[in-house]
Amino acid sequence: MAQPETVKKQKKGEEEPSFKGAFVSVLIVGLFIIITWFGVFILFNYRF
Amino acid sequence: MKTASRLKVDQRDAKLVMAHFYVAFISLAIGGMAGLLQVLVRSGLFELPAGIGYYQLLTLHGVVLALVLTTYFIMGFQIAAVSRTSGTLTAVQRKLGWTGFIIMTIGTAMAAIMILLNEASVLYTFYAPLQAHAVFYLGLAFVIVGSWFGSAVILLKYRQWRKENNKAVSPLLTFMAVVNSIMWIVATIGVAATVLLQLLPWSLGLVETINVGVSRTLFWYFGHPLVYFWLLPAYMAWYVIIPKIIGAKIFSDSLARFSFILFLLFSIPVGFHHQLMEPGIDATWKFLQVVLTFIVIIPSLMTAFSLFATFEGYGRSQGAKGLFGWLKKLPWKDARFVVPFIGMVAFIPGGAGGIINASNQMNQVVHNTIWVTGHFHLTVATTVLLTFFGISYWLVPHLTGRILTKEMNNLAITQGVLWFVGMTIMSGAMHAAGLLGAPRRSSFSEYGGSSVAADWIPYQVAQGIGGSILFLSIILMLYIFINLAFFSPKGEQDFPVGEAGHEAEKTPKVFENWKIWIGITVALILFAYTIPFIDLIQNAPPGSKGYKLW
Repeated sequence: MAQPETVKKQKKGEEEPSFKGAFVSVLIVGLFIIITWFGVFILFNYRF
Repeated sequence: MKTASRLKVDQRDAKLVMAHFYVAFISLAIGGMAGLLQVLVRSGLFELPAGIGYYQLLTLHGVVLALVLTTYFIMGFQIAAVSRTSGTLTAVQRKLGWTGFIIMTIGTAMAAIMILLNEASVLYTFYAPLQAHAVFYLGLAFVIVGSWFGSAVILLKYRQWRKENNKAVSPLLTFMAVVNSIMWIVATIGVAATVLLQLLPWSLGLVETINVGVSRTLFWYFGHPLVYFWLLPAYMAWYVIIPKIIGAKIFSDSLARFSFILFLLFSIPVGFHHQLMEPGIDATWKFLQVVLTFIVIIPSLMTAFSLFATFEGYGRSQGAKGLFGWLKKLPWKDARFVVPFIGMVAFIPGGAGGIINASNQMNQVVHNTIWVTGHFHLTVATTVLLTFFGISYWLVPHLTGRILTKEMNNLAITQGVLWFVGMTIMSGAMHAAGLLGAPRRSSFSEYGGSSVAADWIPYQVAQGIGGSILFLSIILMLYIFINLAFFSPKGEQDFPVGEAGHEAEKTPKVFENWKIWIGITVALILFAYTIPFIDLIQNAPPGSKGYKLW
């Protein structure tokens, strides 16, 4: 019973694709959001 | 045989869908022309002829594009998606669909005639105390009621599919259309209430005054989910259709369903973020709805990750190397991918701007400035619209039994690129002028020679240039639509529907336990709105009589 599970796990480990690019892309989007937000926040502090 | 027939939308359903699309693209022509005239007026270099009012034109632009084009396209697309993935509509369902179409079209004609007669220059938000002719409000009520018929078609087909398939997990596109339809029905109750109980009796003279705070609150109870009603069909295409077009698998069926459920829960109890500068609503309740608004960022970022992961997974399967090598493997010559992709890119600044708008006190910086106009021209008028155009490039020939030729494909890419260029100039100039304080919803004025107002004028000229490029793109789009509907060579154009990868986990059944999701939706709405709404009625200032300022 245990053997097929081990085989399955190994197979899964080998097939696991890399999503590093997707992860970094989302971080870039997040960074863009933070930068623009702080840009307007500075304007807000300056004006009000 | 059953599977084969499901791959194509039945001809009888196709006719219903195309009827919706004809109205949508006629709206694009009329609304686009109005938009061009507006940017030209605002540049200060052009005056409207024949006594046409700027605000009349602005109302026409907003109503036919933001309300008519979107609603018709979405109803048509969702019916096509459900017919393709859950099977051909029954005769009763199709009849309901046609009934809804006819009711919506009568309503649209009523509202449009009143705008053209200059009896309803109240802009697309129809804020009280601006008062339009009663026929305008009645027309809007018809559009809303008609759309409920279209939504009923989706829900009935879904129920039938579930019954016939022993309550198995429903096709993803159908599930998404169901979520959007439920959200639409729950949200439109608010706008139907203000139109039928407040605006209509008031415009008919049955009551003299109106509670402005209540009418605006009911409008925005509907107005923000309206934004998601536009966006979710675009997400349907991004999650399910784009993977098939590029030759990839859906990243995760469960993640897609979960993000749609989050949109259902959190896109309605957030209308106050459009009313942050208005009196009569306690700051605590505004803050609560700001927090709920920020929760909607989560499914949007989930969508972003899912899309990047789909693209990267596909690129790597094609041998891409390095951190971003997968980008090169995407089908950059296929308009069905490129045009919606431009829409996806536009959602990055569009979403970032939206977060700024909703940031409570920070809303003061941009409120009622043309920054807001720039913002929603990125979200609805680029992200959503370019995705709808991208859908049309394969769906229209699929429905009419024609094909998207190489020539039309190349022209479609040109259309998308022109839109990108025009919108970058126009929306960029709107954002910049907005930060300098330029107001939205206002015709050209030098404001008595004010130096502050003089700084806005170069940006308004830029908006004129960007808007003109956008109009060229609209002409191209209309040309391609007519070609695909009537003249393109006969053939079989695929309706692409992606599938989840074999290694994907089984989709949990809890996503289709509607008692839970509708229950939480209602609970959140009651929590966010009950007390401030009672407050708006009990502590209301004297009501307002109607004004016709045009």
